[in-house]
This record gives sequence, C-alpha cells and structure tokens, in this order.
Amino acid sequence: MTAWRLGLVLLAFFAVLIVAPGWVAQQSPFDLDPARALQPPSAAHWFGTDDVGRDVFARVIHGTRITLGLVTLSLLIATAIGGGLGIVAGFAGKWFDLAAGRLADMVQTFPPIIAGVMITGVLGPGAMNLVLALAVIYVPTFFRIGRSAALAEAQLTYVEASRAAGFTEGSILVRQVLPNVLPVLVLQYVIMFPLALQIEAALGFLGLGVVPPTPDWGAILEQGKNFILVAWWMSLWPGLFVLLSAAAMTLIGQGLREKFGR
Amino acid sequence: MAGFLARRLGAAAIAALLSSLAVFLIMRAVPGDIVGQMLGQSGGDRAAEEALRAFFGLDRPLWSQFADWLGAVLRGDLGRSWYQGRPVGVMVWEAFLVTLELAVATLVLATLIGVPLGVVAGITQGSRLDRAIQSFNLVGLSAPVFWLGLMLLVGASAALDWSPPFAWSGPQEDLADNISILVLPVISLAVLQAAAYSQFVRGLMIEELGKDYIRAGRAKGLTPAELYFKHALSNVMIPLVTFMGLILVQILGGVVVIESLFSLPGLGRLILAGIQGRDYPVVQGALFFVVIIATTINLVVDLLYGLLDPRLKP
Amino acid sequence: MTEFTLPRRTALQLALGSLALPGIAEAQQAQIDPLLYGPTPENARRGGRITVGSLVEPPALDPFRQAADARIRVSPLMYQGLFFEDQSGVPRPLLAESATAAPDGKSWTFRLRRGVKFHTGQPMTSADVKYSYDFMRNAANGSPGAGDLSSVTSIDAPDDFTVVFNLSRPNAALPMTLTNKYGAVVPRGFLDDANSGTRMNEISVGTGPFKLKQFRPNSTLVFERNPDYWQPGLPYLDEITFVTMPNSAAMAVGLQSRRIDLAMFSRPQDTQALANAQGVEVRRWPSLNQKTVDLDCKYNNLGDVRVRQAIALAIDKKTVMDASISGYGTVIGTIVAGMQDAWGVPLDQLANQRVDLDRAKALLAAAGHPNGFDIDLTTIIGYDWMDAAAVTIAEQLRRINIRVNIRKLELGVWIRNFRAREMGFTFNDWGTTPDPSLLYYRHFRAAPEGADFRNWNHARASALLDRGQETADPAARRAIYAEFQKILAEEVPTIMMFSSDVLTANRTRLKNYVQHGTGWYFGLVKAWVEG
Repeated sequence: MTAWRLGLVLLAFFAVLIVAPGWVAQQSPFDLDPARALQPPSAAHWFGTDDVGRDVFARVIHGTRITLGLVTLSLLIATAIGGGLGIVAGFAGKWFDLAAGRLADMVQTFPPIIAGVMITGVLGPGAMNLVLALAVIYVPTFFRIGRSAALAEAQLTYVEASRAAGFTEGSILVRQVLPNVLPVLVLQYVIMFPLALQIEAALGFLGLGVVPPTPDWGAILEQGKNFILVAWWMSLWPGLFVLLSAAAMTLIGQGLREKFGR
Repeated sequence: MAGFLARRLGAAAIAALLSSLAVFLIMRAVPGDIVGQMLGQSGGDRAAEEALRAFFGLDRPLWSQFADWLGAVLRGDLGRSWYQGRPVGVMVWEAFLVTLELAVATLVLATLIGVPLGVVAGITQGSRLDRAIQSFNLVGLSAPVFWLGLMLLVGASAALDWSPPFAWSGPQEDLADNISILVLPVISLAVLQAAAYSQFVRGLMIEELGKDYIRAGRAKGLTPAELYFKHALSNVMIPLVTFMGLILVQILGGVVVIESLFSLPGLGRLILAGIQGRDYPVVQGALFFVVIIATTINLVVDLLYGLLDPRLKP
Repeated sequence: MTEFTLPRRTALQLALGSLALPGIAEAQQAQIDPLLYGPTPENARRGGRITVGSLVEPPALDPFRQAADARIRVSPLMYQGLFFEDQSGVPRPLLAESATAAPDGKSWTFRLRRGVKFHTGQPMTSADVKYSYDFMRNAANGSPGAGDLSSVTSIDAPDDFTVVFNLSRPNAALPMTLTNKYGAVVPRGFLDDANSGTRMNEISVGTGPFKLKQFRPNSTLVFERNPDYWQPGLPYLDEITFVTMPNSAAMAVGLQSRRIDLAMFSRPQDTQALANAQGVEVRRWPSLNQKTVDLDCKYNNLGDVRVRQAIALAIDKKTVMDASISGYGTVIGTIVAGMQDAWGVPLDQLANQRVDLDRAKALLAAAGHPNGFDIDLTTIIGYDWMDAAAVTIAEQLRRINIRVNIRKLELGVWIRNFRAREMGFTFNDWGTTPDPSLLYYRHFRAAPEGADFRNWNHARASALLDRGQETADPAARRAIYAEFQKILAEEVPTIMMFSSDVLTANRTRLKNYVQHGTGWYFGLVKAWVEG
C-alpha cells in the first residue's frame, strides 16, 4: 500500500506542475539569450541553461504539461475509440467483430516507433499529429481489452435477463455493459501510460515531436544529445522527469490492480 | 486443433495482406519520393525527374504497382533496393540477424538478472531486500531506454575512457568486436526487460507460495529449498516461457531507437533509412517480414500455451 | 581556435583567362600540379589505415545519379572529373592537362592526361571522357548535374587525348563545372547497363586514388589504395574506413577512445567537448557552405518586395549565428564566406544588411500590414542549427509584429517542396563549387534556363547571370556579379546569413589532413599516418 501512496504523492506533484508551472518555475521557458548559453546548474538556473540560453528548469517544468498532456490526450482518444469499438465488437460480434479484429491485428503488428515514424511522416511532425500517431498505436490494445471484457459481460445472466425483459441492445450496452467494462479500461489506461510516455519521448528524441520552441521532454532530450559531453544537465533532468512520471503511473497501476483484485 | 490452426493462419494471412497494403499506401502518402532525393534540392529538371520516375515504375497506376509487388512476393521475391540494388530479402535477413542477436542477448541477460531477482523478491516478500528489488523494478520499468543508452555511452567514456567501435562486426567476423559493440545497447535494453521479468516472476512466486500444496509440503517438513525450487519454481515455468515470448516480441519492436543510438545495422535502422530515403521496396519488404515474424511468434506462443495448459485449449 | 588553420588564399590566381590555367604545358609529360587536392607534405609515410567517423552515410555511390551530399563527400576518393575545384576558385587540371577556349568562347578544347588507368585496368582515353559527359548531360539519364551542362551542344574526340566541348553560348565556368560534384570519367559503355547505378555500390570504376573495397549500408564504407594511381607516390594511406556515427557526442567519444582518427562536425560548437582531449587536434576551416533563410516570392505576403525587405531589416544575422553555431562562422552578405574575397561585395555596400526596425515597420505599413501578419517558418529535422536559429528569428521578427510559427519538415518532404517551387519561408543549408555562376545560376536565373526555386522571376538579375556566365574577362565578370549581388541584397529572395566554419577533429597521428571548404574529403588523398 505504501507504493500506492508514493504513486499518489508523485502524481500530485506532477499535477501541480501541470496546473501551475509558472508558480514553480519563475523564469520563462522561452526567453533566450545566447550570452548565457550552456551554463551549468547554479542558484540562478537550477538545471542550467540550454544552447540558446534558456532556463532548463523552466523548460522541464513547463514541459510537464506538454509531455504528459500529449500522452494523456492520445491515450484518452485510444481508449475512447479502441475501447468503444472493442465493446461493440465484443457485444455485437459477427462481421463487425471480425473486421475490427483484423484491423487491430494489422495495426498491432507494427513496432510502435516505426508506426509513429510512418504516421508522422504522412501528417508531418507537430504536437497534434503526435497525439494522433500515439492514439493509433494504442487503439488495438484498448480494442482487445474492451472486447474481451464485453464478451465476458455479454454471457452473464443479467444481460439475458435484460433482453428477456425487453430492453433494446443499445440500452443494455450503454446502461449495463459499459459501466462494468469501464474500470477494466481505466486500469489498462494507467498500465499503458508509462509505455506510451516512453514512445512519446522516443519520437521526440527522433525529432518527430512538437515544434520549437514548445518545451517537451523528448524534444529537450533531442536538443541535448549533441551537447551531452559539455552540458549533461540538458539531458539528465528531462530524462529523470520522464522516469519519475512513468514511475508514478506504474505505482498507481500496481495499486489499482490490487484494489480491483487484478 | 487443425481447425484452430487453419483459422489462425487465415487470420494471419489477412493481417499480412492488409498491413502490406497499408504500408504501400502510407509510403506513397508521405510527400516526396526517391526521385527528389536522387536529384537533390537543386539538381535535374522535369525531364530528369520523369526519366527516373519511369525507371522505378512510379509513373504507373498505384494498383498495378501494388499488384506487381504482391505477385513477386507470392513467388518469394521481395524485390531489390532502389539505392543498393541488392535483393531486399538478403538485406532484411542480414539486418534481422543483427537485431536478433541484440534481442537474444538482451533476453538472456534479462532472464539471468530478472528471474533470480523475482524469485528472491517473491520468497522474501515484504522484506527490505524485496523492497530494494521492487525499487529496481520500478526504475527499470520507468527509465527511457534511449536515455539510459546515452547515459551509459557517456558514462563509459568518462569512467573507463572506452567506447564501442561503432563499426559493425558480426559474431563470426570478430567476436571480440562484436561483443564490444553490443555490450552497451544490450545493457540499456536489458534493464527494462529484467525489471519486467523480475516483477512478473515475483508475482508468480507469491501466488504459488500461497497455494495449498506448499502449505502441505511445509507441514510435511520439506526444506525451503525443495519447496521453492522443486515445486514452486517448476510450476511457474510455464507462464515464464510464454512471458519470454512476449518479451522477445517487445524487444524486437523496441530496438529501433537503440539501433539508431549505437549505429547498429539492424532491422529498425533498415526500415528507418528506407522510409527516409523513400526506398519503397525495402520498407515494404522489411515490414512484410516483421509482420510475418510477429504473427508467427504470437501463434507459437498461443500454441505452446494450449499444449502446456490443457484448460486453455481452444 | 580563433585563427583559421589555412590562410585564406585569395583570388589573385583568379586571373582565369581563357588560356591562363596553371600547370598548362604542351610538353609531352605535363608536370603534375603540386597543389592538386591540397599541399604536398614532406616526409610523408606511406601505409597505414585510418577510421573516419561520419554523421551521414551515402544512400548509394553512383556519382552520376545521386545528389546527396554524403555521396559527394566520398566520391572524389574514387572518381575524378577533368578539373579539381581548388578552394581559391581556380579549377586545377586533374584528368585534363590543359584547357583552351576558342576566341568566340563557343568551344573549349581540353588536352587529357596520359597514363591514367581506370580501376578496371583499362587506360583512359578521350572516348571515355566524351562518353561520360555525354551520358551526364542527357536529361533522360536522370543526372542532377545535367542542368549545369545545358549549354553544351556536342562533345568531340578528335584524337585519343583531346576532347572538344561545343557550346550554344559561351560558358566561362565550364572548367569549374567539369569538376567532382556530379559525374566523373568512367570507362565507355559502363553506364549502358540499366543497373550500372547500383553496380557502383559494389565496385568503383573511376580513376581516383582509392578503390571501393566494401560498402555495408548503415554501418561502414571501406576504401583501399589504388595501386595504379597516376599521381606518383599517392595516396599515402592503405585503407580508409568510414563509420556511420549516431551523433556528434558519439564522434567525440570515439575520438577520445581512439576508435576513430578523423571526424568532421556539422555543428561546429560540438567540438567543444574535445577542447582538452589528449591526442586530439581540433581545427577550423573556412567554408563554401552557407546558412540562409529563403523566401518563396509566391508564399504568404512575400510577393511584396517591401515585406521581404522588412524581414531582412529585422533579422540580426550575428545574433542568429551566435545562437545557432556559437559564433563559429562568418556573417555574410550575398555570397559564401569562402568566395567573399574573390567575388563578394563588401557588406557595407549592400542593402538591407543592418538591423533597422523603424524602417522595417514603415515598409510593412506601406505594404499594407501595419499590424504585421502570421507566417510559418520551416526547419528541417536533423539540421540541429535550424531549431536554435528559428527561435531566435521568431523573437526578432516579433519586434516588427510578424508572428512566426515554426514548422518542422522531414528532409525528403522539404526537398520535394523546394523542387516544386513551394518552399515557403524556410531555412536552407547549401554549399557550392567555388564559382559564382555555379553558385547563382540554377537558383536565381528565371525559368526555363534556371530553376528559380524562389519564384523570383527577375529579368535584370537573369540577364546579369547570363552575361556573367558568358564573360571570360575576370574583371568584367567580377563587375557583373557585383551588380547582381546588389540586386540580390535589394530584392531579398534569400537572406544569406552566415557561413559556418568547417570543424574537424583528428587524432594527432593523422598528418596533413586539409579540409576542403565544400566539406568533401579531398584532403584524405594527401593525408598520412605516423607509424
């Protein structure tokens, strides 16, 4: 249970950074000054400065909202679309189940990074396109989860009973199956979060993420990689923040799993 | 059983066909083609563009390009790289061997670290040691792999004045060089997988140790060693093996960034370079291969599962 | 680190009249120019192998049909044209021995070097030269270099060691065109095979000092000494291995740990990590490359010259250079730094070079944008300097109320847009062979003679570019290009910001490596290693 609590504390910490980054980091993440480029951490710049003299602390703190926001949003889309289609497929079955299932198979056979590269290749790099790419990558996962959960529900007696009582399929789906499947999807959401975060950072590291000057952890890491021998601070801190936020979600996932009895 | 196999194979074939078509269309939807890259930003004129486009068959209708490609694939020919001129099948296989070596070495290292850690953590559940191992798991699962690799590269240089040679040598060419090249990427990848492994095994052990037969064994006076290793561990072997398959698939899919970070000529880099250069035959052939491999591993894992555990027989 | 390793050779030698090529001799065995490929070392040792780290890798090795800079960098080791593009702007005879232009300028006669053998063992004759350049100039063969030879109407080979290029109009830049960027002299007939392009990934068929030994994509590229090479005693090295490196930090690490002997850094400040490294020298060279902002005259509000001028007046090139390459370069006006002395106009005589926000705002208001406007500025993924330059320029343009959205494009997409003349408002990073005609003509001459990628379509500038190409007299030529540059600065179809110095780092055991301003590896021909 302590792990669960640690996870919540970390989550609260990141929530503060997301809601009020300016409250934590006083400096602007955008103000640049080549005269103070690549300065090591100091009292004035806790995490040092980057190659154009921006405050790395401010960029990392303000990046929280961007990076975690992008992942949150893309997984929400994946959950809504994948989970929704999965529930319908599991409940309705037949040709729809078959077609959607094959489509999910297809998307899932691509390694996530390659899929991300190809999708951003078509759409072009940028925050919203990255969200779309990540969403597409994770739709099959949620499809499967939603489908098997709905499939299990559909066989339960209460569904049969509702049918016999004259409820329409649609209302059974929305009023009875959905509420029971939802917790499973939430749990999966939390479990997938650290994985999606890693992919987001990796795509940013490949230069396919947000456009400058938006502060994003993956983008800061990409910018920092060539300076890593002279300015380790550009690479260390954003990496640690990815690690910490992934850890927070992993802990919460473990806690939730215990709560739901797995 | 035969019916199940036929259904799975049929589904796999449909998935392979669909994804090939998707790759084909997506690659053509990415703006720019090989002709622009060959002529550069300022070279050549319209006539040169048209001549090159005709040379690669890019002037023909899309459906006929795809039909030709598919027809050749069905005859076992993945075509030739537009830049390299070498058979795509050979290039994919060579690159796959690099990736496979990386993946297998990672799997071995992850197993050697992850399984003992998981067993120990499971046995000593709740102890300080267990908590330390769990912390390792947490960090391992959370650290971005490419970031870890970068840190290792810089760390090895600073601490040991050492770096990998960067020029690839296969194990049969120069084993010492081969190991020097792989050591950092394997460690970067293995940390994550060892953590996943250890976490998984810990859970299995705890579950297994709570079962009646262990309690009965304890009552009968069996030593802890007999209990843990003869009974509990042997019972968790089945899920362990299947988990290995999952991990292998995950490693194969996750090596792209590590291959780029350490200049390894593996499958991920081949595909990335193919996408960047718009070398359509390479991208289509390599991804076709990836789809087949992934589908096969999934199928084998499912079959093994069914064989090892009769309850799950479909 | 503040001084250049090479004194800037100025262009007094540029007295390139129709007959004034250095090294011309009618003697049977012409002397070989000691400055070919760079200075000849004393006490050089023969033998040894080196490893060169490179951030980029050629997609393929065909010098006729691959324009990638990574391909051009290594091709001169294997392949040769008729001339060597000396950094000073002099085309030094390479496979040619001498060059003579006809009095009307409509034909050039080249005497060829004797005793040159291809890697295949065949001796080189005029028939091979004719074959190779005929192949290149035929657009149907898809060579990026065809456009530079558009004035050639036919090539004759009157005897085994003479070729004559017949032109539709005079071209003073022809010798500099027949250098080593695109194409080369290869055995006649070799290119007839449709797969000859990819064959060149397996064997080299040039006349150069090194032969291709092995090309392993995504990893290594190995060259070995050509034992039959025609320059006596050259090359010194037995073998050169190019290794594709993941990033510049890895190159620095590789140099420190003795895995690589030489590396060229695309972003000069990345060598800072090596400042105190034992046994590693970092050297700085002037370059023929330039970093620019290009303005598509059909994009957004850029069709109005006042808007383009306002943008130029708001951009502080020095600050952009400091931000993006830590100041390791030279601010330029309208020509690359390496050609400024020979051909450039002093910056204080060019329009729109100094920041003047009031004038910029007045121009914008006059153009009907008193409150500014929104515009996308394009950067290319993988060109690290552009991101820093983009945020700096966005900041500078905000001062005149132009609101910049930065957008990133993958290189292949960017090339497609550029070629389709849809570049928008974009960064660019390009270099040149050191002749003004080769620098400007394709880019700025109105279509169809030029490609006019920026949709500038400027009649007077085009007329000047035609005259500049046709004029042989150096002083007259220089005056023409000075006039052209003044128009370029006034009209702002491009903002040439700065030339980034080329920085190389090498293990000290590697001697006499001289970096060419193009970034190509000519210097390896005369480099040697200590035993």
